Amino acid sequence: MTEIAGKLFTWINTRLPIVNTFERHLSKHPVPSKVNFWYLFGALAAVTLIIQIVTGIWLIMPYSNTEEQAFSSIEYIMRDVDYGWIIRYMHTTGASLFFAVVYLHMFRGLLYGSYQKPKELVWIFGCTIYLAMMAEGFLGYVLPYGQMSYWGAQVIISLFGAIPYIGESLELWVRGDYYISGITVSRFFALHVVALPLVLIALVFLHLVALHEVGAGNPEGVDIEEHLDEDGVPLDSVPFFPYKVLNALVAIGVFMTVFSIIMFFFPEGGGYFIEMANFQEANPLVTPDHIAPVWYYAPFYTMLRAIPDPLGGLIVMASAVAIFFIVPWLDRSKVASIRYKGIYSKIAITMFGVSFLTLGYLGTVGVTEVRKTMSVICTIIYFAYFLLMPIYTKYEITKEVPERL
Amino acid sequence: MISLPRYFQSIIKSIALFILLVSFNKLFAAEGGPCKDYGECDKFQYSLNDIESLQRGASTYINYCYGCHSLKYSRWGRVAKDLQIPEDIFFENLVFDKSIKPGDLMIGAMPEDSANWFGVEPPDLTLVSRYKGDDWIYSYLRAYYEDSSKQYGVNNLVYPGTAMPNVLMSLQGNQRLVCKDVPVLARNGGERRDDFGNTIFKEKCGFLEVQDGTGILSREEFDTLIYDLTNFLVYVGEPSKAIRERIGWYVVFYFLIFTALSSLLYREYHKDYNK
Repeated sequence: MTEIAGKLFTWINTRLPIVNTFERHLSKHPVPSKVNFWYLFGALAAVTLIIQIVTGIWLIMPYSNTEEQAFSSIEYIMRDVDYGWIIRYMHTTGASLFFAVVYLHMFRGLLYGSYQKPKELVWIFGCTIYLAMMAEGFLGYVLPYGQMSYWGAQVIISLFGAIPYIGESLELWVRGDYYISGITVSRFFALHVVALPLVLIALVFLHLVALHEVGAGNPEGVDIEEHLDEDGVPLDSVPFFPYKVLNALVAIGVFMTVFSIIMFFFPEGGGYFIEMANFQEANPLVTPDHIAPVWYYAPFYTMLRAIPDPLGGLIVMASAVAIFFIVPWLDRSKVASIRYKGIYSKIAITMFGVSFLTLGYLGTVGVTEVRKTMSVICTIIYFAYFLLMPIYTKYEITKEVPERL
Repeated sequence: MISLPRYFQSIIKSIALFILLVSFNKLFAAEGGPCKDYGECDKFQYSLNDIESLQRGASTYINYCYGCHSLKYSRWGRVAKDLQIPEDIFFENLVFDKSIKPGDLMIGAMPEDSANWFGVEPPDLTLVSRYKGDDWIYSYLRAYYEDSSKQYGVNNLVYPGTAMPNVLMSLQGNQRLVCKDVPVLARNGGERRDDFGNTIFKEKCGFLEVQDGTGILSREEFDTLIYDLTNFLVYVGEPSKAIRERIGWYVVFYFLIFTALSSLLYREYHKDYNK
């Protein structure tokens, strides 16, 4: 019996590189032996992506993408579908936590210079994933067709209208109607469940292929390829499987504990994960008192509001995301990790982190004069972090990076 | 296990600074609360395992509210089952239209042109506890007061200008806004006194008071009635809430064990390269 299985395996393996791929990307793939918790969010993002895809497939089955039934089909899932509420809450909680781990993953990149040569493409694929996620999240948010779905979509789609010359026709083209309607819902549904997931999976694949080509980084910013053993394996590395997989497993355990606490006890996340107004069916005649985006778009929404001119706001908001793409060329530092960078870099990244969180907070509350001033200040700090990077990273005194991990 | 980075300190500092900024911001916040003229909403703590409370709430809802307000996402049979009411008793006592079957949605009893009666169509209330919140419902239903300037002779502190008459007035009695003499507070928080040591009083208005003997129920009984009704609306807003919170403990417990076992395994393997 085992003989037949062995033969079958050899037969397949000579036609499909199973052993080769397993060794190259898992059992023999070298990863730095010393990393910290910041290096675990990539694995968690992968877990969340899988959760979103699997729960998404099951949500498509009972969901109805028509104007008349979109909202009630969600309630149908929540009430009449057996354990439908678990699947739906996994999807809504997963969406928020996906963004949370991706933000932490990106911040790790900024902290430890994960974009520096030769990792530029890994970084750029990552930024593109983030961009695709933002679109995916927005499209998905419209599907339940609640009040906030409707009015949030109204605000976001009208942004296209601010583009000169083609704006209005572009807006109409995206919406497919003169106002948001069932036509918008059904096209957003197609994009949300087919088009963007395909793009996301392709990008994640490229992100990983590029990463495995150049090798993972570490918090010291040490190039582990400099010291190899007689087989050409870096001395400061361990095989990905089983060592790093086990490390990730612990992280997944902690993450899933947090995940289940949220989804079983606070699925609305205090109105931040599912907004209260979204439990009312979309009504084109009644505007909610206070239109707020979900928390993960809030920093960019604040920037949009901080600029009085719609086109200016749109440009600032788009640049805030676009600027991530050129970070590899903005950082002129000799060292990668914040541990060995100078005081200016440390101040800059702290200011950046604080301003990003403050922008996020400001996007979820109403506007007052003081808050408006604060959002302008935080927007300036946000951009200053990137735009001044070539200067402060070049002229600051850095510490000596050790030879080995 | 997982080493904390040296940068950890800075993260804590950033979080502290962020909290500081947010609290600074709160000082300038000028938003009215959801309960409007009522002030802070009264806190409501649901108890979805108190089946008797839910049964009483359902009965109040169907007798006093369902005539106008449908529960169109909820099904009759599901309510009977979840509230542990035998179907024959449920249908005999609470379902007035005998053509209704257990699988039917609770689509209400209002004719199409009902919007003409109150100026607005009475909203469906299946999800009211989710978009208004249970605190709001509990406060709103107890905040009606006599106001002869309004169409139905009543107004509401939580929802000024509400289109709904006080349907429960016969139970609650006639509630009015009254003025009372209240002690003036001194700067130190105590009562302010005059030179003779007598407490200084000042007239303050806006208190809700029920006229004695006008209602069938006492104040406590009425509050309990509204508690049960709100509890029922919390249930109907999310029928799986009770089971969700019950299952949740098992899932969290499972993942805690999972984390413990995987970290033991990780530690064992970690010895291979970190002697």
